[in-house]
Amino acid sequence: MIWLTWRQFRAQAVTAVAALALFAILLAVTHPQLASLYATSGFAGCHGGGCGELADAFLGQLSNLTPFGGPQAFRLLPAGANLYVIVYTIGILFILIAPAITGVFWGAPLIARELETGTGRLTWNQSITRARWLTVKLALTGTAAIAVTEGFSLLQAWWAAPISRAIDVGGSVSVFSGSRFSPFTFATGGIAPLGHAAFGFALGVTAGLLIRRAVPAMALTVAIFVAVQVVMPLWIRPHLLPADQTTAAIASTHATFSDLSGAPALTASSLPGQPGAWILSSGPVDAAGRPVSTLPAACAQTAGSLPPASRITAGSQSDVLRCLTSHGIRESVSYQPAGHYWPLQLTETGIFLALALGLAGFCFWWLDRRRA
Amino acid sequence: MTAVIEAEGLGKRYRRQWALSDCTLSVPAGHVVGLVGLNGAGKTTLLSLATGMLAPTTGTIKVLGVRPAAGPEQLAKVGYLAQDAPVYAGLSVADHLKLGARLNPGWDDQLARRRIDQLDLEPGRKAGKLSGGQRAQLALTLALGKRPELLILDEPVASLDPLARREFLQDLMETVAGRDAGRLRQPHRPAEHAAGPGRRPGPRPGLDGVRGRHGRPGARLHEASGRTQPPR
Repeated sequence: MIWLTWRQFRAQAVTAVAALALFAILLAVTHPQLASLYATSGFAGCHGGGCGELADAFLGQLSNLTPFGGPQAFRLLPAGANLYVIVYTIGILFILIAPAITGVFWGAPLIARELETGTGRLTWNQSITRARWLTVKLALTGTAAIAVTEGFSLLQAWWAAPISRAIDVGGSVSVFSGSRFSPFTFATGGIAPLGHAAFGFALGVTAGLLIRRAVPAMALTVAIFVAVQVVMPLWIRPHLLPADQTTAAIASTHATFSDLSGAPALTASSLPGQPGAWILSSGPVDAAGRPVSTLPAACAQTAGSLPPASRITAGSQSDVLRCLTSHGIRESVSYQPAGHYWPLQLTETGIFLALALGLAGFCFWWLDRRRA
Repeated sequence: MTAVIEAEGLGKRYRRQWALSDCTLSVPAGHVVGLVGLNGAGKTTLLSLATGMLAPTTGTIKVLGVRPAAGPEQLAKVGYLAQDAPVYAGLSVADHLKLGARLNPGWDDQLARRRIDQLDLEPGRKAGKLSGGQRAQLALTLALGKRPELLILDEPVASLDPLARREFLQDLMETVAGRDAGRLRQPHRPAEHAAGPGRRPGPRPGLDGVRGRHGRPGARLHEASGRTQPPR
């Protein structure tokens, strides 16, 4: 059975290894310059206050630099595009779509193709039960699917380690931004890719078993996988662990004021004493801790004199913020502290692995009970 | 006399339509038996139930004494050539033999290779490039190679022209002659009975009610040729 699985899978396996190898070569070729830049940035051994500026300088250099001493080697790139920006983006993109690709092209046809072409009636009439057939198929192909995504993820983690460190200490330049809690970074870092890959694959297999035709099953797999990847960071991930709540002085949260929809909003961008925290929501509260729904009259006047939101100047912003502060208004922030990163990663990966196992169990039950 | 297939009140419903209902039959060992009926009479459904490809909606079916596809031992005893003789288009003839060898503990490699030789099937040729008749031969080789006690063929010659049909059945009969295996075969047309060696069988009444869809007359079991060995 292992032989048959390999015989049917080897073309796909070669494709996956080739894709991984190409990606590895791209990273290996660009890594030395990235590493030497990091070494000379002065930010490598930095600890404490001034690191943010050094990190910004490093990232700025990276996003403006043409590799290998000149643009000649990379004429293929459009003017103004930088190789490091592109490689970093490609890496994240690959890790994000690899679970969908393996789910669609390896998972969905796994059973559907056997049903569609009738070859299931050939294989399932050899001296081997369907349960055993499915066990070997799921174990080998599923492991390969997880390994491919994890391979991309590990390569990217190795290559982008200096960039991740710069972002962690507060650097933020062009695409090199967004904390490790930001949707794409969270989904492509840590162990989350494992769970996504397992889920995407099991989803494809199940869709193929139920629809019994490979192409519609592939389409359904994509649709569900994308929907889950949108729902997860927006509505589920923030609530996997109970969020912490705190109230801080407006100035200390680097909040931005806006009054677009009639209700005053104060969006915090950082938390004092909580570097790297994931801010879920924030808003103004009065001295008693009640949410502020209407601006104090004096501040409303200041705010009313503000130009449209898109052209709010730093000066008028700080006028409003100072006014709000003088009226005893503080900023309330709901957040996940930086220390919740790994617990959240574990929880999310656990959820997706459990979903994958549940789907696989369903496939066993369906294939055995309902018969093909 | 032992029965190789024993069905009792067997029925299968697809969504709201009954493909087979209230089928009770018993196929004795040591015979070549044909299953005859109009299109939609439920022949393929019955054979799919007998191989465990489908689970019955009502009733029970036992093949060689146990539930079809109950385990590897039971699967090893039943050879099945499914309708349209499915093979893997991307695998070569040799790959198919290897598949048979890997998945069947009782695989008779000599028998399989001899058949492939006799039939002039190139081992390196992809199954997808074979003609309909060659594909059927390859699938039959897989079914025979596992040395089953019971061989079930579902319209094995449906896709063949009359000449190839004759050759295929001749070859089939030669291959199975002398082997004590009950064989349930679904001929495409009653005329195919003539292809079997020995006397032409007269139709026997259906062993029991086999009622097809759309109120069509049910399928009938025919004994297609004489016993290959006296029943034990």
